[in-house]
Amino acid sequence: MSFLNTLAWWQWVLLSAVPVAIVLLYFLKLKRQPLTVPSTYLWSRTIEDLHVNSIWQRLRRNLLLFLQLLLVLLLLLALLRPGCRGTQLTGQRLIILIDNSASMSATDEQPSRLEQAKRRALALVDQMRSGDAAMIIAFADTAQTQSFTENRRMLRRQIEAIAPTSRSTDIGEALRAAAGLANPGLTRLEADQAVDESLPATLYILSDGGFPAVPDFALENLTPVFLPVGQAATGNLAIVAFATDRNPAQPDRLQAFVSVANFGSEPATVIVELRLDGQSLDLVELSVAAGGESGWHFDLPDLDAGVLQVVLERDDALALDNMAYAVINRPRRARVLVVTAGNEALRMALNTPQVQQVAEVTCVEPPILTDAMHLRQAAAGAFDLIVYDRCQPAELPVANTLFLGSLPPGGAWQAGPVGDVRAIIDMDRVHPLTQLVDMTHVKIAEGRPLQPPAGSTVLCDSVLGPALAIAPRDGLEDAVLGFPLVVAENGETVPNTTWHLRPSFPVFLYNAVRYLGGSHSALVTASAAPGSSVTLRFPAQIESVTVRDPHGAVKPLQRTGQSPFTYADTHVLGVYEVDAGAPQTVVQRFAVNLFDPRESNLQLRSSLEIGHETVPAQPALQPARRELWRWFVLAALIVLLLEWYIYNRRVYL
Amino acid sequence: MLRAMPDSRNQPELLSPELLARLERLELVTRKIFRGRLKGERRSRRQGQSVEFADFRNYVPGDDLRFMDWNLYARLDKLFLKLFREEEDLHFFVLLDASTSMDFGDPTKLHYAKQLAAALGFIGLVRADRVQLETLGGSRRARAPVLRGRRSLRQMLECLADMQPGANVPLAESLRHFALRNSGKGILVLLTDLLDKRGYEQALRVLLAQRMDVYVIHILSPEELEPDLKGDLRLVDCEDGEVTDITVSRPLLDRYQKTLAAFVAGARDFCTRRGMVYMLVSTAVPVEDVVTRYLRQRGLVR
Repeated sequence: MSFLNTLAWWQWVLLSAVPVAIVLLYFLKLKRQPLTVPSTYLWSRTIEDLHVNSIWQRLRRNLLLFLQLLLVLLLLLALLRPGCRGTQLTGQRLIILIDNSASMSATDEQPSRLEQAKRRALALVDQMRSGDAAMIIAFADTAQTQSFTENRRMLRRQIEAIAPTSRSTDIGEALRAAAGLANPGLTRLEADQAVDESLPATLYILSDGGFPAVPDFALENLTPVFLPVGQAATGNLAIVAFATDRNPAQPDRLQAFVSVANFGSEPATVIVELRLDGQSLDLVELSVAAGGESGWHFDLPDLDAGVLQVVLERDDALALDNMAYAVINRPRRARVLVVTAGNEALRMALNTPQVQQVAEVTCVEPPILTDAMHLRQAAAGAFDLIVYDRCQPAELPVANTLFLGSLPPGGAWQAGPVGDVRAIIDMDRVHPLTQLVDMTHVKIAEGRPLQPPAGSTVLCDSVLGPALAIAPRDGLEDAVLGFPLVVAENGETVPNTTWHLRPSFPVFLYNAVRYLGGSHSALVTASAAPGSSVTLRFPAQIESVTVRDPHGAVKPLQRTGQSPFTYADTHVLGVYEVDAGAPQTVVQRFAVNLFDPRESNLQLRSSLEIGHETVPAQPALQPARRELWRWFVLAALIVLLLEWYIYNRRVYL
Repeated sequence: MLRAMPDSRNQPELLSPELLARLERLELVTRKIFRGRLKGERRSRRQGQSVEFADFRNYVPGDDLRFMDWNLYARLDKLFLKLFREEEDLHFFVLLDASTSMDFGDPTKLHYAKQLAAALGFIGLVRADRVQLETLGGSRRARAPVLRGRRSLRQMLECLADMQPGANVPLAESLRHFALRNSGKGILVLLTDLLDKRGYEQALRVLLAQRMDVYVIHILSPEELEPDLKGDLRLVDCEDGEVTDITVSRPLLDRYQKTLAAFVAGARDFCTRRGMVYMLVSTAVPVEDVVTRYLRQRGLVR
């Protein structure tokens, strides 16, 4: 038997006044019905006899009072919500994991899966015996952990406070947090083990199971119970991809690509609407097979800037994935610095109108590499791309770089001995840097095979080895060409290759300016996943920016050191506006979209894989607390009936 | 239960013709020898002039020659006197308690007492006894008429009808007063509920000295014998307004029954020891039954 307090202290004070009031009313002069009798002679003699009677006679006279007090007592007990513990709750310590990822916003359960999960978690808390401790962990891709407590009121408050998110699901962190308390030996120092014994706990996972298996996790003292939330076969149509790009056939036009997946068991037809800044641009009807995907290209005119939105005209269980955004930012000319001792081909290729349209190219001589002013600018990120032609800075700048015939400093990049490159034998035609670059007939005299650092991508292979590679560096990228374009021979500059005679050379430089110069990403910003952090690059002189989220909340960001701005509060799906400096000026925008097939797939999983264990779903676990208050109310009613009967038939008792 | 005080005018007739017919055959009996004032229909222990022969005795000079048995003298030549039973009248008093407490019940105890008084009085009238009906306490102002003979029936009934409740005089005082005024011997029937807080013992003792043949008829209503009460009540005494708070319960009612039984037994004991006849009568019992059966058993009527 356990009790749950349902009233505040002042309500108890009011209630406890009721029995006192009843007793007082009894002790106050009872209003008796006057009755004239021939003589009270016999009655008064009878009463005199009774006056000297035992206390039981008094009790019997006050039988009604006691019955009423009993009635009130029973009602008070009923208000304490006495209950019997059911059999399902076995652990002295409970860890309740509540999934609040995007899929838990599905409305196949009323009002939503998350609310249902919270309701069931509350039922679990209600079942707790006094002395049981519980911990609430809300998890999506990260976990919000509360401490163990026996305070059920606090637990209820913590459960109530769990809000839905748009994030993806990763139970790993939540499991590790739970394990940290159940298996302290794994996370604590040896010295702590003596103090803090590992305590077995029951792990209740309230989720739809839409997360990847956790293979490298040992449950040890945790006993997992998977309580699935949601309807088993819930179909859902979701936008799993939405991207915009220049039409390769017509570079002055944009195209938008949308992919719609059907996670239901029935084929579906849906109308997809494309909007620009809220105005409808195009409509298309898509048929999606059960469990399949289908895509569509929208052709768009060349747009300066705007927010593209694609909407599925359909009401299904999950609304989050029926809408997606893409941002076309106002193109900004890339700032490109070319450090060269003199390279006519390079200069000419960078002087094409196409390059001039997207970039602002400055050519300087190598001695500037030691100039303090230049070093400060390079460190502050004043340039988007710095091209080093046969030269090497002392330190890599805060900018994307393209090294032509030289290696970046630092030793991460290595190269083999100089040899005869002769011809390029393989090209990466997918990478934006080498798209549409055909080097089939390019002849190259000498060069060095590159040994790029780990994580890099080789874009171009020669007979000797990698001739062009690109590697990421703290959010920036370094591209290195393994052979120089020109070489100095006897004081004269002579070509080292025939590439500059080919059309592919200006195309390559145009690609480099667009891709490394950032004008590519400026045109169409990649979509960010909810909860991920977004890196915002701005010129070094901008010290602070403000970000306005889709709900209109404004958050200022301050630059720390020379690093780019990082915005992490991407909880809401939609378009975020970044404002740098001048008021009311939207400088940049980025979109946050779900694009997570795992979250959009609302099919209920029948089991979870945790470590090497398979945790089967516990079907429809009802609240196990057996409420006893009804019996108390029933008893109170019976007492009330008895009281009424005795009041009427008191003569016979 | 509300106060049951029906209008006395609506009460049924005191004596029904059938009852009168049955009563005509009855007569009042006294266990004691009384000297009547007038010659009545009653045979007396005293020898006197009547038609009923009693005995002979020797003539002594001075005897009335009219009672000489001349036939015996002729046969035996001795003078014998014939003795005859004297027939004489009887003093029959009926005292009614007309206190307010008698005005309860349906029919009221007072009405019941009147019926009893009328029945007994009628018997007395028919037998030419000297019947006197009085209320306790009420007799102070106007003496009740002495009734005799069948013709006085109407007068007796009127007298009874005039009796109204409300004469709350202590029992002892009114009986003492009665005793002072009526020194003669006879039958006294006291119709009362004995509910006097000062007790009845002192009052009844007064009657002992009168050497009267006393019948105490204790009249109680069913409401008093088997009270049907419920709940928390404030009982108000109708005579002195005394208040008693009771909460009716089974034990209380049991206790009341015990008290009542003790009260009745006490009164019966008191009367029996002192040569009085005590009889408890409930107003639920019809008057004719009381007169023709119970009082016959007790020897008041024959």
